[in-house]
Amino acid sequence: MRASGIVVVALLVVLIATPALAQDAGALRREIEQLRKQLEGLTERLQRLEAQPAPQPVAPPPVAQPAPPGTMQQRGPGGGTGLSAEELLRPRQPFALYQQRGSGQLLFDMGIAGDFVASVTQRNVAKANGGTFAGQENRFFPREVELELFGQIDPYARGEVRIEAGEEAPGAETSVHLAEATLTLLTLPYGTQVKMGQMRTRFGWSNQIHEHDLPWIDRPNVLRNFFGGEGVTEKGVEVTIVPDLPFYLEGLVGVFNGDNETAFGRGSLRDPLLTARLRTFFELTDTQAIQLGISGASGQTPGEFRSTFAGADARYKFRPESWLHPLVTLTAEAIYGIRKIEVLDETGTTGPEGRTRDRFGWYAGLEVQPWRRWAGGVRYDWSQFALMPGREWAVEPYITFWPSEFLRFRLAYKRTERDRSVDFAGNGGSARIADEVLFQGTFILGAHPAHPF
Amino acid sequence: MARSITTLVLAALSVGLTFGGADAADKVRVVTTIPDLKSLTEAVGGDLADVESLTRGTQNFHEAEVRPSMMLKLRKADLLIENGVELDSWVDVAVNGANNPNIVRGARGRIEISRGIPLLEVPSTRVDRSMGDVHPLGNPHFSLDPGLAPIITQNILDGLVRIAPQHRAAFEKNRAAFLAKVDEQMARWTKAMEPMRGAKVVAYHPSFIYFVTRFGLTQVGTVEDRPGIPPSPQHLVNLIHQMREDRVKAILVEPWNDIKLATRVAEEAGAKALVMASAVGAVKGADNYLAAIDYNVTALVNALR
Repeated sequence: MRASGIVVVALLVVLIATPALAQDAGALRREIEQLRKQLEGLTERLQRLEAQPAPQPVAPPPVAQPAPPGTMQQRGPGGGTGLSAEELLRPRQPFALYQQRGSGQLLFDMGIAGDFVASVTQRNVAKANGGTFAGQENRFFPREVELELFGQIDPYARGEVRIEAGEEAPGAETSVHLAEATLTLLTLPYGTQVKMGQMRTRFGWSNQIHEHDLPWIDRPNVLRNFFGGEGVTEKGVEVTIVPDLPFYLEGLVGVFNGDNETAFGRGSLRDPLLTARLRTFFELTDTQAIQLGISGASGQTPGEFRSTFAGADARYKFRPESWLHPLVTLTAEAIYGIRKIEVLDETGTTGPEGRTRDRFGWYAGLEVQPWRRWAGGVRYDWSQFALMPGREWAVEPYITFWPSEFLRFRLAYKRTERDRSVDFAGNGGSARIADEVLFQGTFILGAHPAHPF
Repeated sequence: MARSITTLVLAALSVGLTFGGADAADKVRVVTTIPDLKSLTEAVGGDLADVESLTRGTQNFHEAEVRPSMMLKLRKADLLIENGVELDSWVDVAVNGANNPNIVRGARGRIEISRGIPLLEVPSTRVDRSMGDVHPLGNPHFSLDPGLAPIITQNILDGLVRIAPQHRAAFEKNRAAFLAKVDEQMARWTKAMEPMRGAKVVAYHPSFIYFVTRFGLTQVGTVEDRPGIPPSPQHLVNLIHQMREDRVKAILVEPWNDIKLATRVAEEAGAKALVMASAVGAVKGADNYLAAIDYNVTALVNALR
């Protein structure tokens, strides 16, 4: 009886409790399902986080401390430079690299010179390609962007490399080429030096100067007519001697391939281009100085005809006492050329001797710089043409403004007159008379070697 | 006959040896890039050194023009003494044109005087040319700080001894005598400048920072906006305002700089433009190292009194 009561009570409890249990189980299932989803979400998030690189602690940038003179910067293990990947990837300017020279990071100097020019002229001159920058009339273009690397190679030699880019034809892809690469042996006896490689030869005063360093926007007409727009850049050797004399005298002889197509073009050391130059200098007073030079060059043309040039140059400067710049600068250069050219005989074939043609040209420039940042000047050109008959003259006044030592703007007007139009007419144009407005913007980024007188 | 030839050869050799001996006894031919170093080298080298400078005191050494006359001087030099810290880096072009292997970089006859100098104004951050013609290695105008004379003359002594070791004792004696004079003058200069300690000055270009620091003055600004960059009108207005606030009494200007502008700014601010001896020979009466410092001390004492 007592047992029956217990069973009944148990059944009642079960019957009453079953719905409640069923309700709890459902809630439990939902809860478990929710937890499972949360777990899956967390697992997924954890996997995503694990897939990402660990965050780096943010540290303040280290303050650059200059190393004491003559000491080397401390290097990291393995002889590395100790720079982090972030520092290595950070864009650097030449000046930043230059800055580190003192601590042994960079053992030579580097810089970039950018030279942009513009020319505006008459339409018929442009059609005939008869402007100063032939084919680039009425255009603004990068004439010369030059990377310069220079310094001591070792105790005995110095190296200089210039890589140049520029637009050579309207809209053409900017071409990059080696402008100069030279090795100079400095420690030879008897006051001699040897320079070898590819270089602007030291014929005359202005040929050795790069476009962006010239005191005018364009190279003088006589040099462009006789040696082409680029001047005489050759591969070979120059030997200079500065004898122990009471006055300055530099003698130079050079042997080159003779690759210049306008004046020589033989391009062989069997019939080399030979150059020579004598240069002297006098300080007339503490404020006035003059440099005088004579030059010669003789090579062969592809047709094995001799081509010879003789030149004379002078440069005078007047710099008043305490002035940072010269007040007056005079520059003049004259070149006489004599060469044989191919002529066709009556049968239409090339004669064995050719015809001798002598040519002459000169220029003179005056520059006045009354203020540190401003200068004005004028250049007069007179030149015969190298191969064709006829001559041209030009006058070019200009003003120059330097906002700083490393930035320069120049504006010029140039009038050119030629005595014949037949060789300067093409595409329906004519360039017998050309009036041009020329503009130049030049900058230097980083190091730039000083220029001699 | 054979005896005659032998006699002739011996005579020729004797002549050669005599001339060789004369060459060895010659003075050390020294070329310095700036006249301050010429004066100091003359003090150390004495009668045993023949010293020339490539530049004059009236020039701006940053922008010296490389002339072939410099190459002529360098052609014959036994020793080239340069300032360094990029003040006179143009000398490389002159050396390259001189064809003298004794003084090319790395040769025995080439010394840089900045070795061991505690340089001021060394940039502690990255520099570029937006800051003007700033010197990444520090301010190079240290040569007229009399407190640095011992280091500079020691470097000169080392260079001279390298070329003429037989004269070491004489060079050391000259140097000691010169430094004794500097010490004597230094006591006088310090005493004269003592009342001006803490006075504020403005410089046209940072050429005098070593000098003013040595004597306890404070340089609060420069007329140049940034080194080598001409000042803008706004910069000058701000500078005049600052000079009035700081009661600046003097603008220190180099003889080669724009003295008219410095005078105008000084007048606006109620100060004086002082043409200082930025180098030996820069002004009359500053013909040697001690005279140049004396000139500057006197000029400052008179202006700041």
